[in-house]
Amino acid sequence: MNDLNPLLLQLSVLIPFSAALLLFLAPYWGAKLSRAIAFCGFIAPVAIALWLLAHFTASTDAVTGYAFRSDLSTGLDLFGISLKLGLNGIALPLFLLAGIVGFVAGFYALHTDAQRKEMYWMLLLFMLSGLMGTFASIDIFFFYFFHELALIPTFIMIGIWGGAGRRAAAMEMTIYLTLGAMLSLLGLIAIYSRSGFHSFDLIELRTYLVAAPLAEALQHNIVGLLLFGFGILVSLFPFHTWAPRGYAAAPTSAAMLHAGVLKKFGLYGLIQVAGPLLIVGLNSWATALAWLALGNIVLIGLVTMAQRDLKQMIGYSSVMHMGYCFLGVVCLLSPEGRFLGAGGAVMLMFAHGLSVALSFLLATAIHQRTQTYDLKAMGGLCMKTPVLAAFFVAAILASAGLPGFANFWGEFSIFMGLWKYNPWLVVPAVLGIVISAIYGLRAVAHIFFGSPDEAFKDRLLSGSIQDILPYERICCLVLLGSLLVIGLWPKTISDPLNDSLQKVYEDVGVVLDYATASAEEFQNQSIL
Amino acid sequence: MDSSVQTLLAILFLPLASAALIACFLRRRTWAGAVVSVLAALGIMLLSLKFIQDWDGETISTSITWLQLGDFKLELGVLFEGQVALMLLVVGVVSFFIHLFSVGYMDEDKSKGRYFAGLSIFMFSMLGIVFSHNLIMLFIFWELVGFSSYMLIAHYYETSFASWASKKAFIVNRVGDFGFLLGIIWTYWHFGTVSFEGLRHQVMVNPDMVKTAIGLLLMCGFLGKSAQFPLQVWLPDAMAGPTPVSALIHAATMVAAGIYLLARIAFMLSPEVLEVIIWLAAIMTAYAGFCALGQRDIKKILAYSTLSQLGYMAVGIGLNLPGLALFHMATHACFKATLFLSAGSIIHALHHEQDIFKMGGLFKRMPITSGAFLIGTLALCALFGTSGYFSKDSIIVAAYLHHRPVFYVVLFSAFLTAFYMGRVLWVVFFGPANSKAAESAKESSWFMTLPLIILSVLSLLAGYEFLWPHVASIAFEPEVHVVHEAILQMGLSVHMLLYGSLAWALGLGLSLWYYGLGASADRMEAQSPQLYCLFESKLWWDELYNAYVSKVQQRFADILAFLDLIFISGLLVRGSAGLVGLAGLVFRMAHVGSIQIYVYWFLAGVLIFWGFAVGLF
Repeated sequence: MNDLNPLLLQLSVLIPFSAALLLFLAPYWGAKLSRAIAFCGFIAPVAIALWLLAHFTASTDAVTGYAFRSDLSTGLDLFGISLKLGLNGIALPLFLLAGIVGFVAGFYALHTDAQRKEMYWMLLLFMLSGLMGTFASIDIFFFYFFHELALIPTFIMIGIWGGAGRRAAAMEMTIYLTLGAMLSLLGLIAIYSRSGFHSFDLIELRTYLVAAPLAEALQHNIVGLLLFGFGILVSLFPFHTWAPRGYAAAPTSAAMLHAGVLKKFGLYGLIQVAGPLLIVGLNSWATALAWLALGNIVLIGLVTMAQRDLKQMIGYSSVMHMGYCFLGVVCLLSPEGRFLGAGGAVMLMFAHGLSVALSFLLATAIHQRTQTYDLKAMGGLCMKTPVLAAFFVAAILASAGLPGFANFWGEFSIFMGLWKYNPWLVVPAVLGIVISAIYGLRAVAHIFFGSPDEAFKDRLLSGSIQDILPYERICCLVLLGSLLVIGLWPKTISDPLNDSLQKVYEDVGVVLDYATASAEEFQNQSIL
Repeated sequence: MDSSVQTLLAILFLPLASAALIACFLRRRTWAGAVVSVLAALGIMLLSLKFIQDWDGETISTSITWLQLGDFKLELGVLFEGQVALMLLVVGVVSFFIHLFSVGYMDEDKSKGRYFAGLSIFMFSMLGIVFSHNLIMLFIFWELVGFSSYMLIAHYYETSFASWASKKAFIVNRVGDFGFLLGIIWTYWHFGTVSFEGLRHQVMVNPDMVKTAIGLLLMCGFLGKSAQFPLQVWLPDAMAGPTPVSALIHAATMVAAGIYLLARIAFMLSPEVLEVIIWLAAIMTAYAGFCALGQRDIKKILAYSTLSQLGYMAVGIGLNLPGLALFHMATHACFKATLFLSAGSIIHALHHEQDIFKMGGLFKRMPITSGAFLIGTLALCALFGTSGYFSKDSIIVAAYLHHRPVFYVVLFSAFLTAFYMGRVLWVVFFGPANSKAAESAKESSWFMTLPLIILSVLSLLAGYEFLWPHVASIAFEPEVHVVHEAILQMGLSVHMLLYGSLAWALGLGLSLWYYGLGASADRMEAQSPQLYCLFESKLWWDELYNAYVSKVQQRFADILAFLDLIFISGLLVRGSAGLVGLAGLVFRMAHVGSIQIYVYWFLAGVLIFWGFAVGLF
């Protein structure tokens, strides 16, 4: 059985990809067959991810911490590039997240009444394939390649199936994100060329670079590139403006996949690639990163409070929560807070991916019933849609970090870790739990409670508003169920995560201490 | 796992199972949810009673690692000792009767499923707080209690007021939790542990480790949950929920969780923190009493009385006598539940009329309810022999012994308590009926009166410590004893009894003289509108906070959103895009398609190169 698992990992990328290719032929087939193919493409990755989750601990390699490794030649061996797949405890939660959200987004898309459905599904499948590949890659080249594979369909989907203002949003998002991707690519290539080992293999690079770290100035520059590149991709303050507008215009499934999963690429890159390889460089940027991350939490948090449009609000709130994850990355620089911070960041990425996907889905469900995103033009919807209301309240409270949902563990661990980096930063960070409660509950009150707005009253009382439909309910239950399972039993992902973090960051402390010591020595010498 | 832990876990998870069952399957059934929830509450009560009876008083402590990252381990587990036993008894017994009462009170409600699922979730969260092994676990359930309270206050969500009040309760609690969470994190990194046993050990070994700042931060949690100054604003509005919810959550148990927290961590509070707590609390006892005088809504009056009584409990904590606080918490749970449920019975009989000046003459029409309310009032006023006398007077006496200025404040508040409760008593139950609804009021059904009778008996008897199981009374009995012993030695115990009795007698008597029996309008409002207005306004705290929210916070958020849109999104992002576009335009102008012009460009280029080469630039 163990030999099959690496193959399954490859299949998790291949199946959605081939399903997408098959959908090119959709016009020659009946709609039913296309739907069945798309469904297979959507469900296979999550099934594989769950299977691999169950077999992860047993098949982990004791030295590297990776499981299910495989290596396929791509004819680029000369450059040290080959399709190396495998999962460690850091990648596992995100791989699982991609599977779950990918399935829900796909399942939801199968029930929409969009034009040219087959093409829509095809793009989603390409995106899903890219997402699974990104988190399953050990090779940095493919890590980036798969990200691009997932990113490009987003632009097309917004441009074609988007809502109001889709052209401008798609344009802005494309240019901005391509810029971010370019910068991070430059950084990744710099690691490759400056390390001088002719390898994109993350595990090999880690072994090499621990023994012979890059010069500090070089690390500083590379991390700078990565940080701004990834920062743009993750919507670090002040590079966030594409996000709310882009998500507001994006079709639901695309927004779910992008905000839920794809956006985590940059943070994942910081924790999996930049942290272990370039810790000294990260150290020189940590203070700046911490301040920008607080900008995400406090400033964008307040901006979220000012939103009147439901989808904009969710978009801004997702920008806000990325601030916590960045603070988790900052914790990497503190020996005691390292595992708490990084572990919390990964757990929060997982949880936030699910909760933001749920929020976007519910926002669309609400829009279908009220025909508006304007929070002030609704009210009293709970009378007609109690189940929808319950789901929405759950989504809001999950994102506000209520214990019982997975988000709590992430936020809490980050706060704990951050204290050891700098206790004063924790104060504004924890302020975020008040801010997110304020805008979240305000939205609940505006949409579901109270008496309906005058203009909305007739519609509400006309009886045309239905409670949540079965397919919507299935989507919500999958997302909410996952949030609750991890919320109640965090060990499912935290134990593998903790093990891998220990392995990946085993020698980082030594490298960092050495760099600080030699810097001091240098300073002393120059004083003398 | 031994059987005692299993029983405790059964008590804890019974309500969760009930809530899950109702939420998943019984939402639409009218009565099934109620039956399941009440049975769960009955199970909790019986199991708790049985457990405490069999318990030998030895501390039970067990925990397992729930989350591990690096060296940090988060443990969830159960710690059972005297204070926990006391709290479990109070929560278990009082809430069962409130559950039972709810069956009668909510008989015409359409969303029984949601209501009873909410009650069960609340029970789960509350029991989690009670059993908590460490501060982080306590925080987890603390937040869940906040959530259940939110859900139950929002029960009548169609009304804007309930919608607003529920939001307010949750957010104000979160403000308190902000400090509380910081305190917990600091505690962990300062002491290296958050478990109560570990902390106690650390402080015992090295008392210098106690830090005032940590204590103040942890106190914030108490201020939020127990609605103490300056976070008192949410509790009166929380009365928007159904009356049994007010009784269960906002009087008997949830708000007492703040006191319970302080009692659990009393050893970590430095004298400075205790001084802050005692003054905040003492002021609250009087402030809430004045506010109650300006209210017409019977539930709001009771809410302010709760605030005031929570103040008494906190005075106990501030005197570093947490046992007294827990004792008053226990008796208060009985008589305040009685008061709220009798108020609920009245409201139900009067078809949701809550204005005390539209009641009147109810003693004849609703004798059981009125009797219960009377007993509750007397216990609240600390009439000699009732439960309130034992607990409240202990606190007043202790204040006399250890903190004279606070003694005068709380003694005055005792008078105030009797005065505003007398106002309710004389106006609501005696004299003529003041509205149609009051004229046709009938005694409520047995579902409602039976809990009332039992709770009134408890209100009368809960003060006699020999009636408590010894393992539970150990939490307060020694301290009560010490206080009374001390005052006896000073030869002042009769004086104290006189002071206390004078306070309630004066309060009840004066209110009878001032308001009269069955009044239909507030005499104070007519005679001195300014004074009444002052009380009614609650010193404008709500207005102050509302102004802050709408004029400062929201404005600031709007400005930030504007800047975000104009400056970052507009000027920087769009601006740089525009700049690139502009550059494109300029460079396109250079491409005119005429070969002569290109020759000039070529020449210019050569010149620039030449300039670089010879070092002109």
